[in-house]
Amino acid sequence: MQPTTRHPTVSVLTRIPLAALLVASGWLTAGCRKPSSSAEGNGKRRVVCTIGMITDVAGIVGGDRTVVVGLMGPGVDPHGYAASPADMREMSRADLILYNGLFLEGRLAEQFERLAARRPTVAVTDGIDRALLRAPPDFAGQYDPHVWFDVSLWAKATERIRDALIEVDPAGRAEYEQNAAAYLEQLSALHEETRARIAEIPRDNRVLVTAHDAFGYFGRAYDIEVRGLQGISTESEASLRDVNELVDTLVSRRIKAIFVESSVPRRNMEALITGCRARGHQVRIGGELYSDAMGPPGTPEGTYIGMVRHNVHTIVDALR
Amino acid sequence: MTQTPTIIESPHPTGLPADASPPAVHVHDVTVAYHRRPVLWDVDLELPANRLIAIVGPNGAGKSTLLKAILGLVPLASGRVTILGRSLHEARSLIGYVPQRESVDWDFPVSALDVVLMGRYGRVGWLRRPQPADRDAARESLNQVGMGEFADRQISQLSGGQQQRVFLARALAQDAAIYFMDEPFAGVDAATERAIIEVLRRLRSGGKTVIAVHHDLQTLTDYFDHAAMLNMRVVAAGPVREVVTPENLHRTYGGRLTILEETAEAMRRSGQPGRG
Amino acid sequence: MEDLLRLLRLQDVNTWIVLIGTGLLGFSSGIIGSFAVLRRRALVGDAVAHAALPGICVAYLLFRDAGFPVFMLGALVSGVFGVLCVSFVRSQTRIKEDAAIGLMLSVLFGLGMVLLRRIQNDPAGSRAGLKTFIYGKAAGMTWPDVALIASAGVLVVIVVVALFREFQVLSFDREFAAALGWPVFRLDVLMMFLLCVCTVAGLPAVGVVLMAALLIIPGAAARFWTDHLGWMLILAGGFGMLSCAMGTALSANVASLPAGPTIVLVAAGVFVLSMLLAPRRGLLAEGLRRWGMRRRYAMQNLLRAMWEAGEASGDFSTRVTLGDLLQVRSWSAGALTRHLRRAAAPRWVRPEADAYRLTPAGVEEAAKTARAHRLWEAFLLEEAAIAPEYAHRYADQIEHVLPPDVLNRLEVRLRAQGRIPDPDSTDRLKGGTPA
Repeated sequence: MQPTTRHPTVSVLTRIPLAALLVASGWLTAGCRKPSSSAEGNGKRRVVCTIGMITDVAGIVGGDRTVVVGLMGPGVDPHGYAASPADMREMSRADLILYNGLFLEGRLAEQFERLAARRPTVAVTDGIDRALLRAPPDFAGQYDPHVWFDVSLWAKATERIRDALIEVDPAGRAEYEQNAAAYLEQLSALHEETRARIAEIPRDNRVLVTAHDAFGYFGRAYDIEVRGLQGISTESEASLRDVNELVDTLVSRRIKAIFVESSVPRRNMEALITGCRARGHQVRIGGELYSDAMGPPGTPEGTYIGMVRHNVHTIVDALR
Repeated sequence: MTQTPTIIESPHPTGLPADASPPAVHVHDVTVAYHRRPVLWDVDLELPANRLIAIVGPNGAGKSTLLKAILGLVPLASGRVTILGRSLHEARSLIGYVPQRESVDWDFPVSALDVVLMGRYGRVGWLRRPQPADRDAARESLNQVGMGEFADRQISQLSGGQQQRVFLARALAQDAAIYFMDEPFAGVDAATERAIIEVLRRLRSGGKTVIAVHHDLQTLTDYFDHAAMLNMRVVAAGPVREVVTPENLHRTYGGRLTILEETAEAMRRSGQPGRG
Repeated sequence: MEDLLRLLRLQDVNTWIVLIGTGLLGFSSGIIGSFAVLRRRALVGDAVAHAALPGICVAYLLFRDAGFPVFMLGALVSGVFGVLCVSFVRSQTRIKEDAAIGLMLSVLFGLGMVLLRRIQNDPAGSRAGLKTFIYGKAAGMTWPDVALIASAGVLVVIVVVALFREFQVLSFDREFAAALGWPVFRLDVLMMFLLCVCTVAGLPAVGVVLMAALLIIPGAAARFWTDHLGWMLILAGGFGMLSCAMGTALSANVASLPAGPTIVLVAAGVFVLSMLLAPRRGLLAEGLRRWGMRRRYAMQNLLRAMWEAGEASGDFSTRVTLGDLLQVRSWSAGALTRHLRRAAAPRWVRPEADAYRLTPAGVEEAAKTARAHRLWEAFLLEEAAIAPEYAHRYADQIEHVLPPDVLNRLEVRLRAQGRIPDPDSTDRLKGGTPA
């Protein structure tokens, strides 16, 4: 009969936590394993996008071959957006990550760089010739990222999205090209339509005043003067002098309406109204524009084309 | 536990007979604890009126706490206190208080007169202003402690002894029957000490009572008539020449562990985990 | 220039609004903040401001975009809650006030940031503008904001005026106040409540991070100028108001200067100026005093040294060289030369060849100095018991400082020792000279 001997150095009490530690670390590292390319199990590519405008286009071009996830929903301001752990998890599982670039998603720049090493990460503004971009003097040498306001530029972004999908999923090339072509036609029509509608506004009234300098490309493409209270990014604060100057402009040019944005607080705009009223000029809020985010999903304003139409309609109505 | 004898018959230091009116302070079975640690334990004490009474004991014995307990500044875990036969609430206007000097930030922007005027606030009442009579009374109190010419001086510019005298003047301005003082002689120069004891003796002649936490055993028998010796509980109390004996001093200030400390020691020892 | 004129003409309503709003805010927060500074609870204001953030977020989550007053209410509730937490931790545990404040401040602010992140995903979240509470958005102030600040300010001022005495005693000597029978706990709560109200009212203007500055800096600056509590409060209110007004004016005139931080910088400037320039407690005044004192002492020592050089022989105008003097006292040669030159100006000292002599006027002055010095010496030795009382006066005012009977005593003693100089006789000692 063999006498049972206890292990000389490790008692039972210390074995249990040790085992638990091993199991836990195994579980954690398992989570870090690269998922297989057909993550969904049903062959669809998982595309994670930042702003709604990209999500919309990616969904259309991707069609049935993709599952598209948008991180920033309606009303969410991308300038100050910080990724939550859930967002990071989503992106680490994705087959393709699409973002705007040009520092629109200012807080996520670092994360995108790190992700790019592991997963296909594409800035949809990559394909746009830098000469076509606006470089406003007070944005520290950076380009204005709000390119989707110029439909012709957004068409270029669409092409980039198409090409990115083809890179990730070469088998779907035909479908992607077909979807993209159809959509590009729609965009082309939208571009002309917008140009025509804005021209309906008498030249004197053709000034678009919004909460922040988002509409630069819009102004350039469709021949309308734009002024924003805050700068390119909503992270910057409007100073009292900025407010005063804008009130001056509104009063001296007798501008009828100013516009709030769905993703930016209305406080400053209301201050403008107070300032104008004291100088005897009635300016009203012409409506709410979708600037950095789209409308609720399932509505027309929840799509890119619908959003642009809504903006144009609101602007023309108020200023005509 | 020995019952403290109430002094009725013993001769008064100034030759006047002791009065048979209610004791200045009667402390019944008071226990005070901080975070479950007892600081005062089952204190039962009668302090006679019209005397200079000292509360003495080692550091941490609960002397200040006893004063604060009587004045309602710390909560009582058990027991009660009567002052001149009344509750604290009723006796408020009969009480004067001199807190410890370091309990206050002396850089506060007030003058000496402002501080003494605070002693009159108890009489002024809410939402009413102090009258000229109050200012006069405050100046008078300052004169009594020899600080008359410092009335408009900022208190941070005063020496330690001067500050102590201002505190005393404030209590005098309260025009009380009983004065409670927390270490009035601590850290003051000889001249101030002389001035203070003069004031105290004058108070006694005027029929007032002074109950002071005192730290200096050397001056105990010179300055005070009556003493309560404290070490978490009352070791002895009575006329100063009777109770300040070597044995009582020994029991109060240590040398041999008291019952409480012995028990605490035993409890600590039994609480240790067994070996092997 | 044109901008300044424009400002003065107050053409811009928006500037007006921000001026009035922040001015009132500065006034009331300066007053209530002074109490916090005096009671060494300055950081409680900071804690309240940071604690307000989760309250604002919760208010949004519960009531959505119900409007500004709802957010303010939420801020107030959680600010008060924060203060109660600090109280609780401080009184029930072993943790001291500063750690309790720091603890509560970071925890609640962190909670607020987490909630804020949650809200940013909400469709209406960005529009509600909760993030603006962190740094404030003074430029976008409207009349309702001003009304809120004004009501908070009026409340603070009324209560402080009505309860000035109570707050004074409470802040100076809480124990004494309790011994008087006052409800000190309730007074404390009231004061803290006023602090909370004022802090919360200021959040839209300067934000959570900077509100503490408006509470602390004006009071700290005012302390340099006065030793009277009433004046300190008024001055603090004034400094607060001034900082806000100037900060606003600057923001109105210079592009891209946000109003909130500019106000804080102006306030800091006011503080630095106060610290340097205040007449009695300021650094400059202190420095000047010390410098003047050193000069006096140097002059006195020089005269005395020269006088004593002649004491043995009885010729007080005796020839004294640099070397002689350098042996007696620890001067550098350069400093000594400077002192001698200074003494020559009122003609107390006359240079002669490579030495110096006291003039008759100088002898008289030196005798006075020596006499005072000797009296002081004697005084400190003999009357040590009462010496500390008088130690802070200048020695040469000794006749004015000491009571006459003490002076007489000392003079008699010194005369007996033959050590007392008589300033009336230029070169002889009066009284008994040692045979």
